[in-house]
This record gives sequence, C-alpha cells and structure tokens, in this order.
Amino acid sequence: MNDKGNTEIAAPHRLRRFLPWAVGFAALLALPHATVNTYQNYLLNVILINIILAVGLNIVKGFAGQVTVGHIALAAIGAYASAVFSVHFGLPFWLALPAATLFTGCVGAIVGIPSFRLEGAYLALATLGLAESVRIFISATDYLGASIGFGDIPAPILFGRELGGHVAYFYIVMPIALLSIYFSFCVLHSDIGRAFKALREDPLAAAACGVNVRKYKTLAFVISALYAGCAGSLQAHMAPGFLHPNNYTITEMITLLLMVVFGGIGHVWGGIIGAVLVTLIYDFTRDYYQYQLVMFGMVIVLTVLYMPRGIGGLIDRWIATRRFVTIRKAKTNVA
Amino acid sequence: MNRIILKAGCALIPAILMALGAVAPASAEGTIRIGITLRMLVENGLKYGQMAKDELDAVNATGGINGNKIETILLDDECKPDKGVANVNRFIHQNKVHLIMGSTCSSVSLPMVDIATKEEVPQIIPHSTNSSITQKGSAWVFRTSVSERFYSAVHAKYLAENAGKKVAYLYTNDGAAISFARDYMTYMRNTYSVEPLYEAQMQETDLDFRSHLLKIKSLNPDVLAIGGQIDAIARIAQQSYEIGIPSKVRRVSASAASNAPVPELAGDAVKGLIFAAAFSCTDERPVAQKFVKMVQEKYKVRCPDHDFSQAYETAQIVKLALSRAKDLKLTDASLAADRKAIRDALATIKDYQGLASGPINFCADATPQCRDGNRTGILVEYTKGGKDYAMRVLASVSFEPDFGLVKK
Repeated sequence: MNDKGNTEIAAPHRLRRFLPWAVGFAALLALPHATVNTYQNYLLNVILINIILAVGLNIVKGFAGQVTVGHIALAAIGAYASAVFSVHFGLPFWLALPAATLFTGCVGAIVGIPSFRLEGAYLALATLGLAESVRIFISATDYLGASIGFGDIPAPILFGRELGGHVAYFYIVMPIALLSIYFSFCVLHSDIGRAFKALREDPLAAAACGVNVRKYKTLAFVISALYAGCAGSLQAHMAPGFLHPNNYTITEMITLLLMVVFGGIGHVWGGIIGAVLVTLIYDFTRDYYQYQLVMFGMVIVLTVLYMPRGIGGLIDRWIATRRFVTIRKAKTNVA
Repeated sequence: MNRIILKAGCALIPAILMALGAVAPASAEGTIRIGITLRMLVENGLKYGQMAKDELDAVNATGGINGNKIETILLDDECKPDKGVANVNRFIHQNKVHLIMGSTCSSVSLPMVDIATKEEVPQIIPHSTNSSITQKGSAWVFRTSVSERFYSAVHAKYLAENAGKKVAYLYTNDGAAISFARDYMTYMRNTYSVEPLYEAQMQETDLDFRSHLLKIKSLNPDVLAIGGQIDAIARIAQQSYEIGIPSKVRRVSASAASNAPVPELAGDAVKGLIFAAAFSCTDERPVAQKFVKMVQEKYKVRCPDHDFSQAYETAQIVKLALSRAKDLKLTDASLAADRKAIRDALATIKDYQGLASGPINFCADATPQCRDGNRTGILVEYTKGGKDYAMRVLASVSFEPDFGLVKK
C-alpha cells in the first residue's frame, strides 16, 4: 500500500522534473528555422559546442575547484582522435564521436594525476604545460597534418544522407549539448557534486569528512575531459572538416576561461550563459578586430573586479533577494 | 529549481534570437560586395589589409565599375583556420558577397577553399603559397601569390649552380618553414640526387640554435638553409656568425625573411642572406617605384614587402575582372549568376603585367596550371642590415605552368 502510494507520488514528480527539458528541447528544435540566414545557424552550432566545452570546464574548475588551463588541449585531443578514427581507421561519425570522447576521458584521468599533489597556480602551470605539449606534438606530427592542418574530415552520414549543412548539424549538436547540460545538473545535485563542492571549499576538511580526495579529483578531470572530447569531436566533423593546432592555443583557453568566469564560475548556469554571451560578443565585435583583444581583456578585468561570481552570481543574488522580500512581505501580512 | 530552469531557458533562447537578428545586415542591392579576410594583427598586417580595402573602395569615387559601386568588408583571421572559416561563412551567408579575397596563411586558405567551392563563390588568394590549395581542383579558386612548387626551385637551382650542393637545413616547426625545407630537400634529391648534409627541426619558440650550428660548422656545408618566422631567421643568422660559420657559406631563408624586422633584428648578420619572394622594393621598374612611393606616403612603410605588393596586385586584378564581368544584375535573386559571371571574368585574366616580375595568367580549367597565376619568383639578397637595410635582386626565374606537379 505504502509502495503503491510512493509510486503514485513519484511518477508525476519525475514528469515534472523532465518537463523543462522537454520544453527546452521543443523550443530548440524550432531554433534553426527562426534564424535569418545560414551564418546564424553556423553560429548556433559554435555556441552549442562552446557550451559543452564551458560546462565541462565548469565541472572541474567551478564545482571541484581545480585550477586547470589544459582544457583546450583535451578538446584538441578529442578533435584529432575523432579525425584519426574517421579518416585513418574509416569509422563513421557515430562511432568516432563516442570513441574520441572515451579516449579523451582516459587522457583526462592521466591529466588528473598531478592534481593529487599540486594545487592552485602550480596545477595551472602543470596543465598549461600539457596544453602547450599537445599543441606542439600536433604541429610536429605529419600523421596529424602537422602545421598544414588535418583536412577532409567527413561529415556525419545518416541513412545515406550527409549531414554536412549547418541546419542538419544543429540537430546533432543540439541534443548532445542539451544532454551534457542535463548531465551537469545531475552531477551537481548528486553525491558526486556534493563531494566536488567539499573538495573546492577545503580538500583537508573534505578528506576528514570521508571524501576520497584522489578519487573525486580524478573523477572531476575525467568528466570534464569527456565533455572536452565530445566538443572536440563535434568541432572536427563540422563543415568544412578541418583541424589545425593554431585553433587550440592559450588564447582559445583564455576565451574558454572567460566564458566560465563571465557566466559565473561554479554556477550551474555559468558555463551556458558565458558560452552564449562570449561567442555572440566575439562575433559582434569581429568588425572591430583592432580593439577586440583589448575589449576582451577589459571584460575579464572588470568581471573579476566588480562581478567575481559572474552573471550566475548576479542571478543567484536576485533570486535570494526576491525570496527574502517575499518572506518579509508574508511575515508583515501575518503580523 | 525546475521553474528556474524553465525561466532561464525561456529567457536565453529569445535572447539568442534577438541578438542574432540584430547582427543580420540587409545586403544592399546594386553593389558588388567583396569580403576580405587576411592575417592582420602582425607587422604591417593592418596596413596591407587596409590598403587592399582602400584600393577597391577607391573606384566608388569615380562612379564605380560599369556604374556599380563596390562594398568591401575587411576582417582579421589571425592566421587561425576557425576564424577564417567563420569569416568566410559570414561573408557568404550573411553579407552575401560576390567575391572573397583571402587569406594570408595557407592553413586558413585551405578550409576556405572547401567552403567557397561548396557554396560556389569565387575566391582569390593574395598570399598563401601552399601547393595543395590549387591542387584541390576547385573551379572557384584563383591565386595571385607564387606557389611553393615554384618558390622552392628558385633558390635551390640558383644555389646549386652558384654555391654548392652540400646543404644543411635548420628550421622551426611552423608550416611555411617545414614546406621551405622539405621542398628544397626534394628538389635537391630529385634534380641532383643529393641528400641533406644535416637536418634539424626546432620549436618556433626556441631561442638558442648554437648546438646545431656547431655541428653544421664541423660538416663544412656550402649552404645553410634557414626555415622559420621572423625572429627565428634573425636569431639563426646571428648565431651562425657567432659560432664562426664563415660568410662564404651562403645563407638562404624562407620568404618570411622579406619582412622588415628580419634585417632590423639580425643587423649585419643578414648581409648575404638570400630568399625567394614575389616582389622587392628595390625593383626599379616605374610601376614598382610608383607603388613603393604610394605605400611610403600613405601607409608609412619604408620598404613594402611582397605581402603588400600581392595584396595590391590582387585588388587590381579584381577590379579588372569586375570591369569584364558580363550582365551583373546585383540583386539577391541574381547572386548565384553574378558570382559565376565574376568567376568567369577572373578566368579571362591573361598576361597581366603588374608588380610581379612576370605576367599573371588565369584560365578556365580547375587545375593548378590555370589557377596558379604568378609563376615568376625573384631571388633577393640583403646587402646591408639594421634599420637602414638594403637589398638587391639576384635573379628572376619563370616556370612552365606544370612545373613541380606530379605527373599522373
């Protein structure tokens, strides 16, 4: 009787839990048809890939508090792995994508090892070294196209139809991006998410409370690497299917960090808001290329000075203020 | 929490749409739109980019071309393929350009070619030299810069005949440097059956090349081939004298040596360094001196290199082709037909005599023979280093259209 009652309560609750995601998915399905031109569809795909990258970085940096600047190298590994699987081994996109994602996840586990002993600036330096090593390795490896670039990476094919157009590609990238966002929510609200937060606040205190620090640090790097690998693979197969080590430099890493910091580091919406805004601002300011880097530098400085928790932090503050006002009003009415 | 997700999603999607809508400019009918994407944020990059734009925009002051105004959109691609791809997508789909001009780096031009071909938009390349660009067989792509398949032979032939065949190669791992060294090696191997005396590849960021140079000195080479970007060339040239490689060993470098900072950084060590290029500011032809004077006065560059000359030349060729393009209607409906007409007009460029040492020729076939327009490279030697550097042209070499192509 009790069990039955619980099931009756749980079913609508589960439905309600998925409702926003279903509404979001339905709205996003129509998005490519609401754009003005194909360039905007291209831009949507770039935004979605950046969201996956930023959400992944937010997990390791924002949730778990690990200062990494090697995330872009993991994206490069995912991209080149997917390209190699497709071009050299002949795997279709549908196998190359998960294979590259898993491969990058394994690399993420190795990248996480220095985090056992290093923290803060030292971990940042170690991961920066990794990022540069990966880029230099690609530049010097003929098998990966070296400095000329890795081209002719095939677009996904479904039922004999090539999905190389920007609208068709959107319908591959969008569900993956939505799933990745959902997964980050799940991680944040699970035991793992709580362990990550404990690690971020104080690793020693977390260990004293029974959190396996090594395990969760590695897990944070692995999950983040899975995101980077997936985003990298999607970058590789997006038209025109061309990769180059110059796309994975420290400048790209700083842009990625800006997305997370501007959106709200450690905030569940931070990576998403940051990726959307930074990609769009970058595109709007493309005509003012002389001043673009200065503008981005200023945004970072001003954000750190006046909005250290990013836009996500502002949203949190606004929600908290509203709740406070509502409670106060209710109390006043009762009195 | 669910309500927050729902609200955030509802706010974010329209916000993206509104933002995207705000940046979609209406394409003006009755104008020829040209998208230019180049590597701009480097020494002189902003200046040669602006020069190309100014040259095209200048026709509007005299009533346009056949009564049609020109609208140019100039963007920087930072020598990064993803930026170049974004620029070209924007040109084609948002600005609805009739012609694309760019890029500087081969690694950017390569993916651009794929997009231009797929979308059927004519593209003219002013700077990129990688041989495979025109070997993709695109009917929509033209190149005014000298292909690497010609460049490599210019200095290789000259040095083999005038200096010797014992060549030591020291180069960094950037694309142009690798191509320079490998093409030189291949030419020596295929033409004279000579293997490299010494070969070493370094990182772009390396500062000290002395250990390799000492080994090279002990091997007593005839030629030291230096591949790299500006600072690497200057450093290797300087360090080669520091460790005592005599001046009788000829130093040859990639075309990046034509950039002004090389002689300024290397000082007198640059004296005797030779490189292949498409233009020298010491060219005494009236057309060249008029161009040099214009750049000096308008863009404050003392000695414009071949990045300037090729950007200028490409703009002139574009204007000539546009004047020949038939039945341009310049409406949204006629976009595809106008693009095709401009492509066909570009293919009619024959024996164009400009700043390049030889004529520029295009033709209709989608082959490198037809689309590598400039087949003449010049060999330049620095005669003085420092701020007041000087140079002279040693030789000018023209090639047959199918030179350097692998026969199938």
